[in-house]
Amino acid sequence: MMPGIGNTGLLRTTWLTLFSHYRRHPGQLAMLLLGLWVASALWSGVQAINASARDSYARAEALFSASLDSVTRRDNQPLSLEDYLALRRAGMPVSPLVEGELSLSGETTLRVIGIDPLTLPGESSLARQQSDASALRDWILPPYRARIAPEQAKAARDDPRLPPLEADPNLPPGTLVTDIGVAQRLLNVETLSRLVVAPGRALDLPPYLVRQLAAALASPGQLTDSFHLNLTAMGLLALIVGLFIVHAALGLALEQRLGMLRTLRALGVPGRTLVIALALELLAFGLLGAVLGIVSGVGLARLLLPDVAASLDALYDTDVASNLALPWYYWLGGLAVTLGGLFSAGLGMLWRASRLDILALGKAQAWRARLHRQLRLQVAVGAVLLGIAAWLGWRLGHQPAPQELALGFAMVAALLLGASLWLPSLLAGGLGLLSRRLHSRPHLQWALADLQLQLPRLQLPMMALLLALSANLGVGSMVGGFRLTFLDWLDQRLLADLYVRPSEVQHADVVAWLEGQDEVQVLLEARHAEAPLLNVEGQDTGRSLALFGITPAPVMRQSWPLLESATDREAAWQALAAGDAVFINEQLARRDGLAPGDTLRLRGPQGVVTPTIAAIYPDYGNPRGEAVLPASRLADQFAAPPGSLGVVLSPLPSRDVTRIQAALGERFGLSGDAVVDQRAVKHTATEVFERTFAITQALNALTLAVAGLALLTTLLAQAGARRAQLAPLWALGVSRRQLVGLQFGQLVSAAAGTALLAVPLGIGLAWALVSVINVAAFGWRLPLHVFPGQVAMTIVLAVVVAGLAALLPAWRLWRVPPRQLLQEFAAA
Amino acid sequence: MLQLINLTKTYPTPQGPLHVLDGIDLHLAPGESLALMGESGSGKSTLLHLAAGLDTPDRGDVLLEGQSIAALSEPRRAELRRQRLGLVFQQFHLVPSLSVADNLTLQARLAGREDVDWAQHLLARLGLAGLNDRYPEQLSGGQQQRLAIGRALAARPRLLLADEPTGNLDEAAADQVLDLLRELIEESGCALLLVTHSVRVAGPLDRCLHLQRGRLAEAGP
Amino acid sequence: MKRSTLLLLLALVIVAGLAKVYWPTDASTQAGYAGLGEQASGFAQAGPGQTLHFPEDHGPHPDYRIEWWYLTANLESADGRPFGVQWTLFRQALAPKAGNREASGASPWQDRQLWMAHAAVSTPQGHRFAEKFARGMALPAGQGQAGVTAAPFAAWIDDWTLIAEEAESGLDRLTVHAQADDFAYRLALTAQGPLVRHGEGGFSQKSADGQGSMYYSQPFYRVEGTLRLDGEPLSVTGRAWLDREWSSQLLGRAQHGWDWFSLHLGNGAKLMAFRLRGGGEDDTEDYLSGSWITPQGEVSALAKGGLRLTPVETRDVAGRELPTTWRVEVPDRRLDVTVSAIHPDQWMGTSFPYWEGMVTVRGSHTGKGYLEMTGY
Repeated sequence: MMPGIGNTGLLRTTWLTLFSHYRRHPGQLAMLLLGLWVASALWSGVQAINASARDSYARAEALFSASLDSVTRRDNQPLSLEDYLALRRAGMPVSPLVEGELSLSGETTLRVIGIDPLTLPGESSLARQQSDASALRDWILPPYRARIAPEQAKAARDDPRLPPLEADPNLPPGTLVTDIGVAQRLLNVETLSRLVVAPGRALDLPPYLVRQLAAALASPGQLTDSFHLNLTAMGLLALIVGLFIVHAALGLALEQRLGMLRTLRALGVPGRTLVIALALELLAFGLLGAVLGIVSGVGLARLLLPDVAASLDALYDTDVASNLALPWYYWLGGLAVTLGGLFSAGLGMLWRASRLDILALGKAQAWRARLHRQLRLQVAVGAVLLGIAAWLGWRLGHQPAPQELALGFAMVAALLLGASLWLPSLLAGGLGLLSRRLHSRPHLQWALADLQLQLPRLQLPMMALLLALSANLGVGSMVGGFRLTFLDWLDQRLLADLYVRPSEVQHADVVAWLEGQDEVQVLLEARHAEAPLLNVEGQDTGRSLALFGITPAPVMRQSWPLLESATDREAAWQALAAGDAVFINEQLARRDGLAPGDTLRLRGPQGVVTPTIAAIYPDYGNPRGEAVLPASRLADQFAAPPGSLGVVLSPLPSRDVTRIQAALGERFGLSGDAVVDQRAVKHTATEVFERTFAITQALNALTLAVAGLALLTTLLAQAGARRAQLAPLWALGVSRRQLVGLQFGQLVSAAAGTALLAVPLGIGLAWALVSVINVAAFGWRLPLHVFPGQVAMTIVLAVVVAGLAALLPAWRLWRVPPRQLLQEFAAA
Repeated sequence: MLQLINLTKTYPTPQGPLHVLDGIDLHLAPGESLALMGESGSGKSTLLHLAAGLDTPDRGDVLLEGQSIAALSEPRRAELRRQRLGLVFQQFHLVPSLSVADNLTLQARLAGREDVDWAQHLLARLGLAGLNDRYPEQLSGGQQQRLAIGRALAARPRLLLADEPTGNLDEAAADQVLDLLRELIEESGCALLLVTHSVRVAGPLDRCLHLQRGRLAEAGP
Repeated sequence: MKRSTLLLLLALVIVAGLAKVYWPTDASTQAGYAGLGEQASGFAQAGPGQTLHFPEDHGPHPDYRIEWWYLTANLESADGRPFGVQWTLFRQALAPKAGNREASGASPWQDRQLWMAHAAVSTPQGHRFAEKFARGMALPAGQGQAGVTAAPFAAWIDDWTLIAEEAESGLDRLTVHAQADDFAYRLALTAQGPLVRHGEGGFSQKSADGQGSMYYSQPFYRVEGTLRLDGEPLSVTGRAWLDREWSSQLLGRAQHGWDWFSLHLGNGAKLMAFRLRGGGEDDTEDYLSGSWITPQGEVSALAKGGLRLTPVETRDVAGRELPTTWRVEVPDRRLDVTVSAIHPDQWMGTSFPYWEGMVTVRGSHTGKGYLEMTGY
């Protein structure tokens, strides 16, 4: 014989024979593919979002302005042409920049950047942009030119205000770069937003200007790392849950094909050929599942990306393209993760196939012994994981800032995995205890004993359910707690009924007029400034700190929330109002390890200012560090220009917000952004908040759905075998109705047991999220809230999911004709 | 054809080593049929497993057409099995997800020499014609056993090893299966080593040996 | 010339310089050069019969395509070591005066003038240089990042300045300043002779077909001031030469480079001479021209035949073969001298690179001066 042909035929026949199992049991195949599909889809979806966002960040970081130092006015006002020319004439190599937003028709908003190519420092990436010949003349003379991010090119082409456009894939999404004169015309300004200078070039700036080093401006990639790590963790959770399904499906398929494998070996198929055929089978499934998963993952990402982009914009002020841009490695990565996951799930199967004992042909399986061995191993590994989680939790809980986000996730992962490994043993133990007490109720006792028998099959979907439930509870508690805290905090911070932003010239008149109104109880003046932050040695750190000037009126003292103060609340306010103290926000305190009693070093226009920190206040949703001091002091020490006015109305019945609003519009022409109702601010803030967690909650719901599917598919896959086990009972006189009820009860009680474990696990997860992950990710810590409603909801969800999953098999059992049960009985 | 030389197999048990086979010597000529009798646990199945290369002896050797099995690697033994041996088990061990026709030709296809005419002939002779597209669980016990015999013969083996091939059948069905087996053996010119505890089954074969406490004894028909 | 061919230089330098800032310096920029090589329709044209008016003509001529204020100085330290200084401001109009185009003046940024400057210091062994760019701005005279006013005279780009101390002195008393990373200088210039009009009353022809530029010089400056090299101050004295030139007509494509001399001779006379390579009457010969300036400032044009420029020795500079030693002959004035670079390393590695450096004169006359070589 020709060995070559013989071997190919051998492998092919072996493969076809193995696969014939799935032809006879398409449900198992569907379950396997479903698991792969959801795992790969959720993972790829999250990765697509991340990849797309990273592409946006990379483009933002590659933009010329990101690698250059910035020069701005200390009071954050725009610069004049004279400011710029004075610096140039003094020999400073600064280049002007105009930035602003331009709304196109429809939803599109462009970030317009105007540059002067003649003075723009040369090593920036703009220099790399390709262009055609008389480009400079075209750029600075009519009809001018503009470069635009490809995403907006189409929408922008129809706008008659814009010069001829050239799409530039290197520009961050939503960005248009054009000559400075054109940008000023488009944005209707005559001022400059800021000046840029190459890092390392010395500048001798007048005191009213501040230089911000490019290195100190956190890149969007760094700022949003935590956000994406959060997403990745959610994706990983989905991947694991999906792989549980895959593992269950593969395990089932292997159990049912053990006889076939032995027969094949007896008929002369070498072990190696068998393993290769099984591996090829896995590969085929993996490719199919990955392709399906990646395609739907991209669809999912497309669905979620607008929300993600909006959250990132609101949270970190970064622009992310709301349409997908996926690099090649994304596709390869998705495939690799799916195949890797599949093979990790299938490794056990391959190993067992390679160690197959042919002589066990037809021998009964030592199920119970193996189950116990497996459970013992799981308990041991779970104990190690839980130990690691406890140790990490202790460490992170006692470690001063900054905390490691990755360690936080490692702790959560260890906690979840450890707990889920313990689940089957806990369930088995619980069932054993129960069944001893139910001696007098043979039906129930049988049901519990039978449930224990089913544990090897059910444990994986139950573990998936546990993960999904606890994630749901944990994230739900976190979001709910955040909502409570955040809304409270908004109420405390947004004291005034109306916020008025008059221009600098009008300011005094507006104040005088408002003070003359009967309804106005108090005016809360606010100012903003920036100051370079110095280190202990008094050297420039290159970072600048946002300074916020407030009016420490009694009404504000009462409600402004403080987290920590040097002595007591009243003393802290005394120090702020009368002394030289400041309050700092939680973010700054955590990032720089500052505590009440420490001092800050800031460079003011008249020299170094070293205020004492009197207290730390929560500042949710702010990515930057900030310090608060009285507005009057901010004006004196840091030359802060007049800012907004908070108008607190007296609680009179005659109070009328709209009257004041209208009067301000009439007398001073203040409207739109210049007069904002507190309710509008709250509405916007709440909206941002809801959107931020929309994605987390969506992924969560999907994970729960996947866990339900895992349970359903497992039940469907073993439905045949189950009938064979139920048939003897039927023969013994248990009605079909009772059988269905028992089966239903079994599942529901298993799910309820799982939910009982999910409750403490979910609360643990919530704790980890609010006091470890959030602190590392966002810089603030939330109080832990446990909502009894959510706990109840978790248990209900578990029961509902299990019930829904059990519905189809139960219905099918219900519909089985007695004749078939008879046959099953004969076969058993 | 098949030669067993001083074949010895010992299993460790809590009560000390159990000598299942203790220096077995046996010779089977081409085309010869031999019945191996003995009580349950006398080592018949172990001997058959050793002859098929499914297990390895502690001492001694199995020569198949002069070739030592013990010296072969696992893949070579597997090749020997699919190319030259036919195996019939008491529990049939049909592949439940393959149709009757596919089960019948499974080994032939594995061996890379499917013979459609021979397979058709076998199906007809085994009384399975017309059941091509059924699955094993849709057959009666006798039909399943006949299919298992067909699968073993479809690859035209040199030697058929059968382990209680009628153990699961009633007498009438067993007789019918055995007659068929003998006829087909003669048709294909292959040798047969049949393990049974039934004199009735062993009777019609060329030769009959008894296995007792791990040793062989010649026994008359 | 120097300077006619510098039209070409300027065009290329500005486009290439911007290319460095904003566009890649690859072959595609040649299109910009080609664009500037077009017939300069819409611009004012220099021609014979045009007269110069001072102080107005010290200021810019925005309707001409191209213009410069070009100062070179041969200096000496107290211990007799030779130093050289260059300060140049170029102006280029990117388009003719706005007629049918969108009205400028809407924004100070929207202006058709571009400015570029080169500054350099040659030391006895080395050479340091820097360049700057700016756009014109539609602002009142004297403001803006770069510009020139006629009276009082001031030319500047950022903090590099060439300015008159008082309004009525014209170009007679100037201060020049430039500052870069590794050098700086501040020099006081005092003219000891009159302004000199080249060519035909200030019109200097640049090729056989009649194109040319308006060209005058102040070659009689006495200089006193301070150089700063790596922060170390150094007092210097010497002579300087200022060239003023504007034009709209660029050179033909056949002209690929030039060699230009400005020499202070020991007897007080001055010699300006240039050779345009490849732009002669039959398009294969070089185009030669020059001016002989007496110590009193009387000028006579040197035509072909009355002037001979011969490369004598080449040196490898910045990967190119450059003639750093020349024989210069003006038979009518019995001048036959060898002009050689003080050292070859006076390369201007600017966006569009060229050689510009101090030279010594030996032979029938002695002296010193500046040599510029482009297109090698």
